[in-house]
Amino acid sequence: MRIAFVGQPNAGKSTIFNGLAGYKTITANFPGQTVHYTVSKVKVGDEIFEIVDLPGIYSLTAIDLAELESRKYILSGQADVVINVIDASALSRSLELTLQLAELQVPMVICLNMIDEARRKGIEINIEKLSQIFGVPVIETIANKGIGLDNIFNSAKQAYYKKLIPKIQFFHKDIEEKIEEIEKIIPEDFLKNIPRRYIAVKLLEGDKEIFEEIKDIPEISEKVTKLREEIKITHGRHADTVISSERHALSMNIFEDVAKVVEPLKSFRERVDDLLTNKYLGYPLLFLILFGIFYIVFEVGKFIEEPITEGFDSLIQKLPQFIEENSLLYFIVKGLLEGFSGGLGVAIPYLIPFFIGLTVLEDIGYLPRMAFLMDTIMHRIGLHGKSILPFVVSYGCNVPGVMATRILESPRDRFITATLSVLIPCAARTTVIFGLVGAYIGGLAAAGLYLFNLFVIMGLGAVLTKFIPEITPGLIMEIPPLRIPAVKNVFMKTWLRLKDFILVAWPLLVISSVVLSFIEYLKLDLILNKLFYPVITQILGLPEQTGITLLFGILRKELSMIMLFQAMDTTQLNTVMTNLQLIVYTIFTIFYMPCVGTMGALVKELGFKKMILISGLTILLALILALTSRITLSLII
Amino acid sequence: MKTLLDINNGKRVKILKISGGKGVRQHLQCLGIHIGDIVTLKKSSFLGGPVLLEVNGFDVALGRGVASKIEVEEIE
Repeated sequence: MRIAFVGQPNAGKSTIFNGLAGYKTITANFPGQTVHYTVSKVKVGDEIFEIVDLPGIYSLTAIDLAELESRKYILSGQADVVINVIDASALSRSLELTLQLAELQVPMVICLNMIDEARRKGIEINIEKLSQIFGVPVIETIANKGIGLDNIFNSAKQAYYKKLIPKIQFFHKDIEEKIEEIEKIIPEDFLKNIPRRYIAVKLLEGDKEIFEEIKDIPEISEKVTKLREEIKITHGRHADTVISSERHALSMNIFEDVAKVVEPLKSFRERVDDLLTNKYLGYPLLFLILFGIFYIVFEVGKFIEEPITEGFDSLIQKLPQFIEENSLLYFIVKGLLEGFSGGLGVAIPYLIPFFIGLTVLEDIGYLPRMAFLMDTIMHRIGLHGKSILPFVVSYGCNVPGVMATRILESPRDRFITATLSVLIPCAARTTVIFGLVGAYIGGLAAAGLYLFNLFVIMGLGAVLTKFIPEITPGLIMEIPPLRIPAVKNVFMKTWLRLKDFILVAWPLLVISSVVLSFIEYLKLDLILNKLFYPVITQILGLPEQTGITLLFGILRKELSMIMLFQAMDTTQLNTVMTNLQLIVYTIFTIFYMPCVGTMGALVKELGFKKMILISGLTILLALILALTSRITLSLII
Repeated sequence: MKTLLDINNGKRVKILKISGGKGVRQHLQCLGIHIGDIVTLKKSSFLGGPVLLEVNGFDVALGRGVASKIEVEEIE
């Protein structure tokens, strides 16, 4: 049995999904994060359920790509049962999506999630009555505490075997007549799996995609255009507005039937929320929160890192005592040790605290508030507040950052935001900044690099928006209530993010380290370095040996740093490179080319050509920035 | 005619008209903002920042461009 989870953003679908599937997906507390749907198989008793987590959608009217994707899936008829996850504290609005889902005529279960939140807001819901109205099972859950999740499969089975298809709620008579008129002329075999009523309603609403499908049947398109005109004349509003108002009225009626609203508990959280989005205090708090996270990451990281790298270093130095120096075995063991210590000693101490910090911010619901605060500043670079979300996510990793650009409506905003997102120092580049500049020159210089990076991004943003001007619709975004993160959730998400590093990046790192060691053994590195010589040494003024390390940086950014230790044959880089060289190297590394993973994400979101364009742009930018900083800093230092 | 930008913090208003293209209109509708709805202006950010509305128990942030397209009337 295949079960699809559908619901509005922030209704808690992914939390439920994770609770059932055992933490295989990453969820985030702002709209549009689940951009790809995730499938998982769960065995309950003897039965195997395939559960599908779809991106959150506000309605079946496709506004952004995530909505289009969810809608396509539901319409494809692949789901046997739909679990409609509703944020019980926003019941009246959520019912509008439920009304639309009902039109799809697929067996359904209504899952009222965050029922505790609703009670806090003073909303009491009569679930029997709601179940009667739609004719489907209604269950209550509190997903982040794992309460009620065990009812989901039973209700899904009930809905499936008893064919509990939701009852359609009808609009006013005059609209219903128009829907019927269209229904009558839709040919028998048109879009087979999709109920005719749904098609008729969407046509009346002027849905682009479905209009595209009927444009070869002039009889229908003319009829629809005529009916839309009629509605506009009789109601004085566009047909889509009229239908939306009808749905709104219907859901308000249902809400009044099933829910009682009593005095809400004025909470402590509201006062905190007030402070966080305060027009004066909000900004210093934003700064403190971000600064705090970076400070803790740096301090904690350094504390753990030093003993680890020192231990491995002394081991590597003692290596000639056990294995004959300059033998093939010596090079391989050395490569293994260096790769291993690089992952353990440099990345993990920084990655764990950083991921915990980012996850906590996400789960509290701070990110949308940040978007609210930053809208003004983002307007200066021609974007709007929502673009801050891909940016913040990019500090963790550029890949989900690029994917998060889907929450933006206009292709132009998506392109600019993606271009700027790939310049944000992700965890890997943060490792490089901390590991090279932070460790050898100092925390202040590392912080300075972050600031420099921000200025570059803002400057480039301003330039890009000059070249691609367009009036964007502006910020329209829900701000979910603040929530206390569940500790289990934070650790599971941190683990999931880390797992990717441990299972993919780290082994890759060890292997590349050995490969480089082998190349060194064969003296091939000299040839490769000669090839890069003009750029590396003549333009950037870096030691010749660094050429090859930058090649590895395309795989994963932190590789270029670990390879640097390899190539320079020491972890005491300050003995072989000047501070200026370290800074220029770091600047070049953090700006040139996104890593392979990010390039993949760019191809998926924007297409191959734009990926090439963006990659080329970053190389050019990295060269210009590294060269200018080389010249300017050499005057100062 | 007053728009959301002309309203003081904490005031309740009724939405009279939403101008602007179909995209904006539909987006607002999906978020549960309709003509005739009564909303509370919780906050207006300064320096051309967005406004924060409370609509039927949840918060929505609207950029100033969008807010200027929503005509409202104050209610007591």
